[in-house]
Amino acid sequence: MRELCRRLLFLFRRGQYAADLREEMRLHIDLRARRLADQGVADARHAALRQFGNRGLYEDRSSETWGWTMLERILQDFRMGIRSLIKTPGFTAMAVLTLAIGLGMNTAIYSVVNAVMLRKLPYSDPQRLVSLWEQHQQKMQNFSSHGAPVGSAARGGMKRTTVSIANIADYESSSAFRGMASFDDTAMNLTGLGLPERITGDQVSWRFFSVLGVAPAMGRDFRAEDDSPSAEPTVLLSYGFWQRRMGGDTGVLGQTVALDGVKRRVIGVLPKGFQSPAEIAEGSPHEFYIPAAYSEDLFQKRGDHDVNVVARLKSGVSIQSAQADLNVIQARLGKQFPDTNKDMYPVIAPLRDDLVRDTSTALWSLLGASALLVLIACVNVANLLLVRATGRSREMSVRLAVGAGRSRLVRLFITESLLLAGAGCAAGIGAGQLILRALIAMAPDGIPRLDSTSMDWTVFTVAAAVAVLTGLIFGIAPAWHASRVRAADALRASARNSAGRSQVRWLGALTMAEVALSLVLLAGAGLLLRSFATVMGMDLGFQPDRVLAMNINLAPARYRTADQRLQFFEALERRVRGLAGIQAVAFANRLPMRGSWRSGLNLEGGSPDGETADFQAVNPGYFETMGIGLLRGRSLTDHDRQGAPPVAVVNQAFGRAFLNGADPLGHVFLYANNDRVTIVGVMADIRRGGKEAAILPEVYLSAAQTSLYPTRLADFAVRTSGDPARMVNAVRREILALDKDQPITNVRTMREIIDLSVAQRRFEMLLLAVFAMVAVALAVIGIYGVLSYSVAQRTGELGIRIALGAHPGGIIAMVMRQAGGLIAAGLAVGLAGAMLLTRYLATLLFQTTTTDPLTYAACVVLLGGAAALAALLPAFRSARVDPMVALRSE
Amino acid sequence: MTRSQRDEIPTGTLDLLILKTLARHGEMHGFEIAESIRATTDDVLQVEEGSLYPALQRMLVKGWLNGEWSKTRENRRARYYTLTSEGREQLQNEIDRYGRVSHAIARILEPAS
Repeated sequence: MRELCRRLLFLFRRGQYAADLREEMRLHIDLRARRLADQGVADARHAALRQFGNRGLYEDRSSETWGWTMLERILQDFRMGIRSLIKTPGFTAMAVLTLAIGLGMNTAIYSVVNAVMLRKLPYSDPQRLVSLWEQHQQKMQNFSSHGAPVGSAARGGMKRTTVSIANIADYESSSAFRGMASFDDTAMNLTGLGLPERITGDQVSWRFFSVLGVAPAMGRDFRAEDDSPSAEPTVLLSYGFWQRRMGGDTGVLGQTVALDGVKRRVIGVLPKGFQSPAEIAEGSPHEFYIPAAYSEDLFQKRGDHDVNVVARLKSGVSIQSAQADLNVIQARLGKQFPDTNKDMYPVIAPLRDDLVRDTSTALWSLLGASALLVLIACVNVANLLLVRATGRSREMSVRLAVGAGRSRLVRLFITESLLLAGAGCAAGIGAGQLILRALIAMAPDGIPRLDSTSMDWTVFTVAAAVAVLTGLIFGIAPAWHASRVRAADALRASARNSAGRSQVRWLGALTMAEVALSLVLLAGAGLLLRSFATVMGMDLGFQPDRVLAMNINLAPARYRTADQRLQFFEALERRVRGLAGIQAVAFANRLPMRGSWRSGLNLEGGSPDGETADFQAVNPGYFETMGIGLLRGRSLTDHDRQGAPPVAVVNQAFGRAFLNGADPLGHVFLYANNDRVTIVGVMADIRRGGKEAAILPEVYLSAAQTSLYPTRLADFAVRTSGDPARMVNAVRREILALDKDQPITNVRTMREIIDLSVAQRRFEMLLLAVFAMVAVALAVIGIYGVLSYSVAQRTGELGIRIALGAHPGGIIAMVMRQAGGLIAAGLAVGLAGAMLLTRYLATLLFQTTTTDPLTYAACVVLLGGAAALAALLPAFRSARVDPMVALRSE
Repeated sequence: MTRSQRDEIPTGTLDLLILKTLARHGEMHGFEIAESIRATTDDVLQVEEGSLYPALQRMLVKGWLNGEWSKTRENRRARYYTLTSEGREQLQNEIDRYGRVSHAIARILEPAS
């Protein structure tokens, strides 16, 4: 301990101590010289010095005993490193820039991955929370009903369904769970607080918050007695609702809020930062929570799948054992209720994984791609360093010759690499901040928790770790090279400046690696691009241009009957049709791109088992507005009203699904109150779910005639003669003139809706394309640099060849052969790597296999071409070597 | 060539010699220590005099010695070294160890009789 103090004292006062030591030694030598002179020795001073030995050595050894030499050497290395990097600003800037791009992309993507997938959910002990859904063994597609599962999107959401309320009590009887709660999105019209607005919330079973382990910041949680159809209507508000809509009024408890015309008493406010699972999955705010208050008959209907379920595992219970428990319960239910439960399996997964399942593949792929980019940046910097090291082989041999240890030289190189990595890391974090901000701004909606992405210490730690790792990786090659410099060799060689064989091998290998890595990225981007092009080329079957669409959700409390709703929409149609610039007006339960309403169908003469069709109640103007063409028979008209013979119009897919491809015209099906509905027309097929969706059988009923569907009329659209966006205010005025309390939501042109539906695909494709382009640029720079260098190294040889009469074409061919070999080898390795790695992209692709030959061929041609172009410049330069100049420099 | 007639100090023994010298004479500066070692060993043990100094520094760090600056009789600044209590302990250890080692070596070298 005291020794350490003395050492520290020495560290801080080492100048003083060193001076002391020198004075001591001087005294010694003086005294010895005088003694020798007294003894009559000639030239006593020199004798004294000789007798003393190497003063510098002893000084060094003395200061070594104090134990800080290592540190001082490192500091010295750093100073030397910084000096030598500053001496070559071009190289340093290039290297730091390369690293900054690579590390910047990586940090930004990692931040997103961290925020979206790794960050803890805002619940207590969230790792014990699981999501529960039901899965049908066969005919999965029949269950993707209107109650969309949490976080489900176009992709991967088909096999699963939401849970039957009746089954929950059985699942909950398992001893594996501490609690289970159901929840479901709901949108309601908020009135009485400023302009009418449609806002989103959750209807939840009363244990919802206690299962999540969250208590209200103010007021109380729901109780069992709140969760009943006969209870007084209550509501819990989100912190955001309370702050924004009520100004953070502390007297909010006990006040009422009108939702869908029902006054609900506020019993509590949730803590700041709380987000419901659905909110996290969808990325849009949920502002209120109301008791689900399921009616008695829902508890009997095991075939209805309506709600999402979250459950908390008891501590010590694994997911596997809970799942095993559920399987036992399923077996029992399957026997008890074979009609509804035989093939219906409850499945659980960690809540966090489940919430991000739509984006996780894309994000991991992007993270992988950014890691590849970092690798490419490393290889590039290693290349640069190696080229630079060769230029310095003379400096190195001089250092060796004057006694620098070999390990010291290696350390010097590693130090320089780490310095570069450090600078690259700092610049990368800066660049990462910018890239991250751009990413968030550009990203499509619906990526969970993306908004709250920021760089925290884990991101910085990862960035620093990656930087150190890269520093070591790209420092190894030049350091290894330096460790093999032999003083005499290099000094001799420096006169002729010939590249060592090992060096050329290293450079070649690195260049090859760069080409290979770039090809992997390029192939990934290519596959996404091809998928995107395929998606964009899909025919929708309807004409989305010049269509303005919106939701008009009539509150059930104000529009109780189907007739009232129909009257509202018909009145609105009449008013809007009279406006200038309107060509056609449509209303329906659901417009294309807004979901579907599926059910089975009872055809006279029998229906195939298990087939379902999308049922829509529409007005006659619907087809003209949407641009859906009539193929046979007639369309719906204003005469198809109650009292007239019931009719329907179907699409071609209907014939394929229900009639074995026969013409549906004239067929009859039984509907609702055993109405005999005749099919009077066949329309063109549409992709209701958008470009990536399948074509469904469609049944269009006249809204004025059918009794069942008008209660669900909610979508309104107009076809305009000019820019549809300019009709928004005119249409809004007409709606408010009919009902001043009616909110209008999702006002968008159909074109925008289509664009939004491919936004995530476009985003992923663009991002990977940017990565691939940066990678190709780095590879091209790498090839150019290496070849330029090798041509410069061979100036002498080339000069001799030219002097001996070699043809310039022959010289170019020689250099290109060398380059071609490297590029071809890189492409071959890259192709193998791409085939191996693009497998992970499979779920992101659309009608494209991961080994799509056309994409691969295009990528190889593109990268090979770019690389060859990069090689041409140095090749031409080699042919222009002036033999006189080249030979004179010998 | 005077040099070749002298022997190098065995490694590790230098510490012992310095400690012993200081124990005998109390306060000394570097040159005096060197002279004293030279005198007591009758010039047989040759030491490159500079090698004394790293050893002195090491012993300062270990806390076996104290170094105080004062004036010599010729009025020049010099660092005078004295033994600390730890130094005395160390000297005893070194002597014991030396005894053990030389005894062992002597037994190996003894003619088997």
